[in-house]
Amino acid sequence: MRAQFRSRIRLVLAFLIFAALGIILRLYFVQIVYGEDYSRKADRQFSSGGGELFDRGSIYFARKDGALISAATLGSGFLVAINPQVLADPAAAYSAITAVATTTVSRDAFFAAAAKKAQVYIEVAHRLSETSGQALAAKAIPGVQVLRERWRQYPGATLASQTIGIVSYGSGDSLAGRTGLEAVYDGTLSRSGDSLYRNFFAELFSNVGNLLVNARDARHGDIVTTIEPEVQTRLSSDLVKLTERYGSKESGGIIMDPATGAILAIASHPTYDGNNLQNVDPLLLGNPFAEHIHEFGSIMKPLTMTAALDAGVVTPETTYNDTGCITVNTRQICNWDLKARGVIPMRQIIMQSLNVGASWLATEMGQATFRGYFTKLFGEKTGIDLPNETGALLGNLSKPQQVGFDTAAFGQGIAVTPLQMIRALGALANGGTMVTPHLVSAVRLNSGIVRTLDWGGRVPVFATSSVRETVSMMGALNDEILYNGKAKIPTMSVAVKTGTAQLTAPGGGYYTDRFFHSFVGFFPSYSPRFIILLYTNDPKGVQYASETLDTTFLDLVHFLIDYYAVPPDRGLSAQADLPAATRL
Amino acid sequence: MGGTVAVLVVAYLALIAVVMSYAALTIEFSQSLRNDEASVAALEGQYLAAVAHITALDYTAAGYAQPVLKTFVRAKSVTALR
Repeated sequence: MRAQFRSRIRLVLAFLIFAALGIILRLYFVQIVYGEDYSRKADRQFSSGGGELFDRGSIYFARKDGALISAATLGSGFLVAINPQVLADPAAAYSAITAVATTTVSRDAFFAAAAKKAQVYIEVAHRLSETSGQALAAKAIPGVQVLRERWRQYPGATLASQTIGIVSYGSGDSLAGRTGLEAVYDGTLSRSGDSLYRNFFAELFSNVGNLLVNARDARHGDIVTTIEPEVQTRLSSDLVKLTERYGSKESGGIIMDPATGAILAIASHPTYDGNNLQNVDPLLLGNPFAEHIHEFGSIMKPLTMTAALDAGVVTPETTYNDTGCITVNTRQICNWDLKARGVIPMRQIIMQSLNVGASWLATEMGQATFRGYFTKLFGEKTGIDLPNETGALLGNLSKPQQVGFDTAAFGQGIAVTPLQMIRALGALANGGTMVTPHLVSAVRLNSGIVRTLDWGGRVPVFATSSVRETVSMMGALNDEILYNGKAKIPTMSVAVKTGTAQLTAPGGGYYTDRFFHSFVGFFPSYSPRFIILLYTNDPKGVQYASETLDTTFLDLVHFLIDYYAVPPDRGLSAQADLPAATRL
Repeated sequence: MGGTVAVLVVAYLALIAVVMSYAALTIEFSQSLRNDEASVAALEGQYLAAVAHITALDYTAAGYAQPVLKTFVRAKSVTALR
């Protein structure tokens, strides 16, 4: 009995050994002999269809009432792939797919794909809606696979697209933010390896720590911008009209809260639709406000005036003799109309935008003082949350020639980014301090915590009293000069300055008939809620910024007053008996 | 002994069933969440398109007349924050 039992055991043991040897032999052939073939076959099967679904956090616009509207989110639907080895009737399959898919490959491309019998997975249509995808899947066509897919979607299309940025494949094989906020906040928005499809029990046994407190949830989330969608839409619309009317090369605008640096709208034209990047000029993918520099022209004069007042070189009552043209280091500097004004007070430099007056201020200040103020204003990047921010070109202020300082005083010969310009001019609006322009106010972490971002870093530049004098001059320009006084709003003080700069010609020098127009304004003048910077590059058939940008600026001012119900900061004379009305 | 083994086998099978059900529900709920987010995004797209349409609207072409008079608040008004 015992011997019989032993022999049975040996028999079973021998069987197991032979089975094990068989398996080992099979594994040898699968992994070593035919390993590469199987690997290639597996790659063909799963390289496209087997990947993890794309996941990424959202970027939100913030409406004035606090409601969040998606600027970038995820689209969800289906893709269609074919297996040429199984697909029996390509014509019927193509008809069924085109019946539900809005975008698919051409008929020729489809049949060419269907003829590739060595492959088992070829994608032929993307972004099918939920209902279309399910309808196609229900037909159960042999060789046609309907698979779930997700993609980056921008509900606003072109709205703030250069600022929101794009997600794309870089040199690697993973989608990531490449430009704009998508790039800067990629660490917060990305979800690689953080699938929603977690297995509770697998986590329980393998990574109990992560199940209770997930480190990624404290790092990943959505971001909330300071951009107000309706203000952004208005600015974008106005810039399109402006660019088309004057045939400009490009136009741009920024609306910012000068007290905090929060940017409410930032738009340029031309731009692109983040949902459709085919045929987009790669130059448009960057952000012109942080990456491009311009000579802004006369909107620099209020900064020169404030610096001179702040340095104690002049007072509002100081006068100078305006001769219309002066010669500095053999170069001639003239007023825009070449006319002399004689002995005039300081405020006329701003109100009549006199280049000779600005040059006189620079000379009076001296090179060291002038350099000190302008280096403080433009010597550093703004620190905005956009990638690839560039610095200003202030080379002329490092040379001994006075002409470089004189031209810088009216915004020629030095070049700065639009963001640097609005940051510096914001110091006039908020009492003399430069703030950090920013686009994101908070991060909503997956853990549920909302982290408000601190954008400190305030840089005091001017004394409040100096700023107030300049603001008074800019207010007078709006009330008395702009539109011959018709721009004046009796119940709202508005401070403005126009700028017209000659464009640089290739090989040095300036064009005499091509210009860069700029415009800055803020209101209410003495406690501003908004500062607006506008520019248009190379407008055709018009010379001065007061002709191109004043309409756009005033439209934005009236829109903002209505939209935010900004209370009046001044009123009509109480003595007037008749209704305070203006016939249009 | 046999009873214990039977209980363990049944418990094992039950755990497998629970795990499978939980995984399936997780996938279903998370996809449902994404579908809802996509629907909301579509509505947000419509809202932003409506805002753009209203902004670009030519009121004169739509039949509205230009105002002929602007009236402003007086300095003595309580809303004039002088």
